[in-house]
Order: sequence, then structure tokens, then C-alpha cells
Amino acid sequence: MNKAKFAGTGLAAAEQIYKERSLRARELSKEGKKVMGYFCAYPPLEMLTAVDVVPYRIMGNPRMAPVRVEAYLESITCSFVRSCFELALNNDYDFLDGFIACHACDNLIKVYNVWRHNFKPPFSYFVNVPNTTSPASLKFFRAELSMFQRRLESFTGRQISEQQLIAAIKLHNENRSLMREVYALRKPDPPLISSVEMNKILVASQSIPVEESNQLLHKVIRDIKARTESPTRKTIRLMIVGPEIDDSPLFELIEDTGASVVVDDTCIGTKVYWRDVEMKGDPLNNLAERYLNKVKCPRTVRQSTQNSAEDLDARFGHILDLAREFNVNGVILYILRYCDNFGYDVPELKSYLEKAGLPVFHIEDDYLVNSARLKTRVEAFIEMIS
Amino acid sequence: MAEESKSKTGAVKSTDIVKRVPRLIKTMLSETHEAKAQGRPLVYCFIFSLCDEIVRAMGMTPVWPENWAAFCAALHLTEGYLNKANAAGFSDKLCTYSTCGLGFDIMRSELGEAPPDSPFGGLPKPDVMIGAGLLLCDARHKWFQSAQQYTNVPLYNMGVMTPPYDVDPNEVEGYYIEYMVEELRGLVEFLEKVTGRKMNWDDLSHLLDVSDETNDIWYKAYQLRKAVPAPMPTEDALSAFAPNACLMGTNIALDFCRDLYKEVKYRVDNKIGVIPDEKFRLLWGIGIPPWYALMLFNLFEQRGAVFPIEAMYRPWEPVEIPKGATHPLERLAWRFYRRATYRHDKARKRSGDADVELLIDYIDDYKIDGVVLHRAYSCRTLHVGQLHQLAVLKQYRNLPTLILESDMVDMRSFSEDDVNSKIETFIEVLDAHKTKTTGKG
Repeated sequence: MNKAKFAGTGLAAAEQIYKERSLRARELSKEGKKVMGYFCAYPPLEMLTAVDVVPYRIMGNPRMAPVRVEAYLESITCSFVRSCFELALNNDYDFLDGFIACHACDNLIKVYNVWRHNFKPPFSYFVNVPNTTSPASLKFFRAELSMFQRRLESFTGRQISEQQLIAAIKLHNENRSLMREVYALRKPDPPLISSVEMNKILVASQSIPVEESNQLLHKVIRDIKARTESPTRKTIRLMIVGPEIDDSPLFELIEDTGASVVVDDTCIGTKVYWRDVEMKGDPLNNLAERYLNKVKCPRTVRQSTQNSAEDLDARFGHILDLAREFNVNGVILYILRYCDNFGYDVPELKSYLEKAGLPVFHIEDDYLVNSARLKTRVEAFIEMIS
Repeated sequence: MAEESKSKTGAVKSTDIVKRVPRLIKTMLSETHEAKAQGRPLVYCFIFSLCDEIVRAMGMTPVWPENWAAFCAALHLTEGYLNKANAAGFSDKLCTYSTCGLGFDIMRSELGEAPPDSPFGGLPKPDVMIGAGLLLCDARHKWFQSAQQYTNVPLYNMGVMTPPYDVDPNEVEGYYIEYMVEELRGLVEFLEKVTGRKMNWDDLSHLLDVSDETNDIWYKAYQLRKAVPAPMPTEDALSAFAPNACLMGTNIALDFCRDLYKEVKYRVDNKIGVIPDEKFRLLWGIGIPPWYALMLFNLFEQRGAVFPIEAMYRPWEPVEIPKGATHPLERLAWRFYRRATYRHDKARKRSGDADVELLIDYIDDYKIDGVVLHRAYSCRTLHVGQLHQLAVLKQYRNLPTLILESDMVDMRSFSEDDVNSKIETFIEVLDAHKTKTTGKG
């Protein structure tokens, strides 16, 4: 297998990478490149790119029922994390040179040890992200990233110069900018790109080196702009909000009902792509600032201002902004069972969006998509807002 | 036996000292109401999150909703609160300490006062809340943020961090300590601003001295529990934990621990055991018990098995604070950091997991024959990773293990028949294991 397989039109290449997600990473690994798997939207990928390591997003498979994982992770563990572990047990991640987790939630903290113990990756690091955004938290996080840098340098035997880090930040900012451009193609009504296609592009982009992802996105944008008609009919426009929704069955199910997801606030979607790293000044500080302060995730508790409306805007305003920017008719709040950080926000987020005039459909479900049951409920929601 | 125990769900206690605990809890909660009536600020807090002595040194009264939920569970009075929180949109999979507390906060907010039938008169509305998740526990960050919509009082969320087990604590302590000191300083400034009260640093130093002494005596008392026969069982330790957790820094907790030490020593000196014929010594592993069904410990005892020690609700090991750390906030930060990383070094050199190292230490020190864990379905913090702990433990100490499953607060998850049958089978396994390894059944 070689890189040429992914040549051709952008959308076809994205589809191909999506279908054989680890193919390129395995190929690079065989060529001697270091590839590291990571969980969540918090590890600063720029640092991996700067040290010539390929970041590879660890994802699950909602089509595959967990079997072997039962002996390793309790049933009360987040079902996404369990799915990832199941794939690892099936050797889906056996090519990785490193494993990077972060302080995103209790589930990831716990799985870090279990993963290290069972798969013994040559390199592992737990990025300790503070839960608050105080100046002290920012200072701590910068020091933590500095430690992460030293560990990466020690493992790879390469030093990361400031210029290399700045160059990597530039590449990843470009990547984020290009992905936002793809998202923008969903603004027309009907959108120029379906949610199933979008999901595949997101998955593909987080499975290959950033330079290749940038090339892919350029081609994807060109392909979509060249379209003469939308792949979906003009219909109900939805936003999906939730944690790790990283595969297509859910989007297929929603599109089958005749609706279209046009934007998201999920851990593989806008949380990854919506805020750039500042280019001026100390690059480590800028990375700390971007990942700690600019990524809006319920796991980070922003200090209360004592003004309820302001607090809610600080926590959920970005979701409402996206909903308005993409002109959505309703929001699906898709919460994975045992995802506590998102779970606590449900009552306030639902109320916040409904007060802003947006109908909200809240589902708490397993990562393993139960199509029949879910489809009926989604259809009922669509019918209600139609 | 099952029928008999169904009528009684609390554990029969062995020591006299813990019989004082219900009264201490009642007094503590009634003082909370008195403080409210006198206009002294009340602060929602979490135990072991570094704020106890700070709050007290500023003349405020800490309130412990997490522990209040456990007290309610022991009285079987949580269902209404859980249902209320679930109806408000909080999932029944979230920490049931929190949903019990949130359900109560919603009711108090709707009624303008605690519901009339609340256990211990309920909790008065706080004036301030302090969230702190330590390295783990999402609920300790998110709970009070959610509660704010019902309390409408200021909230300070504090960062308290410890490194993961594969990191040498000495290598990173500089920025971890600096961070915690800054966060604690931020907490003091915040409390001064929102309550108008000033920190008395001398008082804080004194309270730290008292809590250090309390912890030391508590620790020494539990060292005595290594004796055979076991002088004090886990069900007593679960009660003894309440004053030590909720009244740390006060003379009440200090006196309690002094008397605890005396009684345990007396029992050891006079070879007074929990049960007459101690056949098996068990370790209660890392996991929160079902507070509404602590009689399960007696079910073990009826079969000759006793729990001389527990990996939860225990005193901290004595740690050394650097001589230069003289400011009380530095003392607090160092004390927490050294305690929380006490077994990191061992973990890096052997099992890779400090929790496993704790289990190994206790198994050896307390002459343990088997390990029992309880998995509370609503808590990922302490219960995800139990399978891993046991798998790793098996590599170093091959003992029979048992996992019981239900919840710490939600009684609906508990089946006494199931627990009984699991205990029955486990005792048989213990018996067979002991026969095989020692030749003595």
C-alpha cells in the first residue's frame, strides 16, 4: 500500500481513508516514522508535529459490540472509551509508538493506567490539564507542556526548536482554518455537504499527518465547491452537541429521517477546529492558552462571575453562536451514558437553548448506536419541529 | 439469616467509641443551622479538598453535602431527592451523592426552606460553595456548578493536582506546589471578597497543627489494627471516618481520635477481637460501600470473616513537609502533595499503580486472606479501574477476591439475596484457598 491510493478527488480520498483509517499511519510507521495515538481534543498536536511524530486520533467503532473489554474495563466506564479499548485488544492500535491521554475526565484518567499496563506502548504521557482557567492554571499548564516537550524530545532523540514549534503551530492553524472552510459549505440551504460526508472528512483528517490533511482538505473544498447540486434535499437543519461522536451510523440514521446535521459541538468536530493558536509571542504559552482557555468543554469549569446570564453565556454561548451562524432548526443533545462532564450540563444547556428559541432533543445513549430505537425518537423530534 | 438481616440494615458495631458518632453528626448538623441563624457564613465543601482549615480559620462553617447524602443513605431517605434530580434532567447514572444533594437543593429552592421531613433538618442554604476535583472526580467540579442554579451563591472552583503514577513526583513538584499555593491563595482572596471576613493566618497555622496531630493519632490507632484478633472492623472505621473527615482541624476530632486510640489499644492489649473465632481476615478494597446496607459486614462476620482494615476512609501516612514551607498555604499544598504521592515511587518501581501498592501493603501488614470490593455504579472516580487493580494485584499477591455491585446511595441497585449468595460462595473459596496454601482450612 502506498500513498498514491489516496490520490484523486478529495471526497473520494477522504472516504478511502475513513474506510481504512490506519492504513496511512501503518505505512508511515513501516517507513520509520513515529506514530502516537491520542485521546480527546486536549493534547497539543502541534508538539508532536514539531518533533516529527504523527498524531493519530484514537477512536472507537459504534458498530462493534464490546466483548473482550469486559475483562478490563467495568461496564460503568464510558462506552466510547470501552469501544476504543476493545479495538486496541483487537490489535487495531498495535502500530502505535506512543499513547497520549489527558486529564479530560475520570474515564481517561483511569484508562491511562489500564492501557499502559496492557499494551505497553514504548512511549506514554498523561497531559495533566487543569480544570480551571485561572492565571495560575495557565502557568501550571505551560509548565506541564514544557515537561511533555522534554519527554517527547527524550523519546525521539530530537530537540524541538522554537522555530519548529512555530512552524507546526502554523500548519495546525492552517488545518483548522481549512476545516472551518469545509464547515462553511454547510451553511447554504440545503447544505453542499452531508453530515455523513462531513463526519468522514473529520475522521480522515485526524488519521493522517497534518500536512497531508491540509492537502486533503484543499481537494475536498474544491470538490464540494464544484458540486452543482446538494447531496441532501432542503430540509430540517440540525446541530448535534455531545462528546465523542466519531463515526457515521448516527449521522446516517439522522439523514435517513430526512433531516441534516449542519454543525456540531463535539469532541472531534468544532472543539478541535474552532480556535487557532496565537502566532505572536511564546509558542508554549500560546499553546497553553489555546488548549486550556479556548477549547470550550464542560470538563473545564470557568470561574463564576456571579451573574447567572454571563456564566451561562461563558459556558454555552459558543453553542448558541454556532447554532445561529448555521441557521439550525433544532439541537440534538447526544450524551454518552457515563459521561459525567456532559451529563451535569444537560438541564442548564437544554434550558439555555430552549430559552433562545431552539428546540432540543436530549438522548442519553451508549456509544453503540441502537438504530431502531433511536430512529423512532429522532423521527418524533423532527416531526415536532417541522 | 437473610430474613433476619433484612429487618436490620445497619451494621452491629464492636467498639464503644463509634457509638458516639451519630451524636457527633447530629451536633455538627445542628451547629450548621445555628451558624446560619447567627449569620455566620456557611460553605458547601468537599472533604479532603484542602479547604477545611481555611474555612474554619475565617470563622465560617463548612457544610458537607457529599457526606450528608451518605448520612441520608444510611437512613434510607434518599429516593425522593434522587427522583427529584432525575426529573430535573440529571441522569440517574451521575454520582448519586450529587443527585441526592441536587434533588435536595431543588426542593429547598422551590419551598424556600428545607423540606419539613429532611433528615437532620436538612442542609441550610450555603453562602458560598467551593468545588475541587483533585486529580480526579469530575463530580466534585461539576456538582456545585450545577447546584448554583438552585443556590444562587458564589462558587470558587479550585485546581488541586497530583501527577499520574508514572511520573516522579520529585521531578514535577515545583510547578505542582506553586500551582496549588496560588489556587489556595485565590480561594482565600475569594472568600475574603464575598464574605467580608479576613483570614487569620495564626488561626490557620494552629488549625493545621491540630489536624496534623489528629491525623497522626488516627494513623497510629489504625496501625494497632494489625493485631490478631482484629480489634476494630471496617464497619466501625466507616463510622469513625465521619468526625475525622467533617471535623478535621477541630478539638472534637482530635479528642475523638485520642479516645479511639485508647480503646483500640485496650482491645489489642486484652486480645479483644471483633468475632470470637477469626477464621479469615479480609481487606475492604478501594470502593465506596452501600451506606444503606452496612449490615453486609456482619454477614461476613457471621461466617468467621472479619475486615481488620480498609483501603478507603483511612488516615494519611505521616509525611515530611520541607522546612522552608512555613506559610500555612505552603504547608497545606506540600502536605496534600506528599500524602497523595506517597506510593508513587513504589508504583513506578513495581506494579505501575499506587492503588495496587496500597493493597499490597495492607495485605502484608494486616495479614489478609482475601480482598472484597464494592462497585458503586454511579461513581467512575473510584470504581473504574477495579478490574485492573485486581488483575495487577494477582501478579504480586494471589488471594481470593470478591466484587459486590450496587451503589453508595441508590438502594434500588442493591439485592440482599444476591450479596448473601456471593458472600456464601466467597467464604467457600477462601476456605479452599487457605486449605491449599496453608494446609489449614
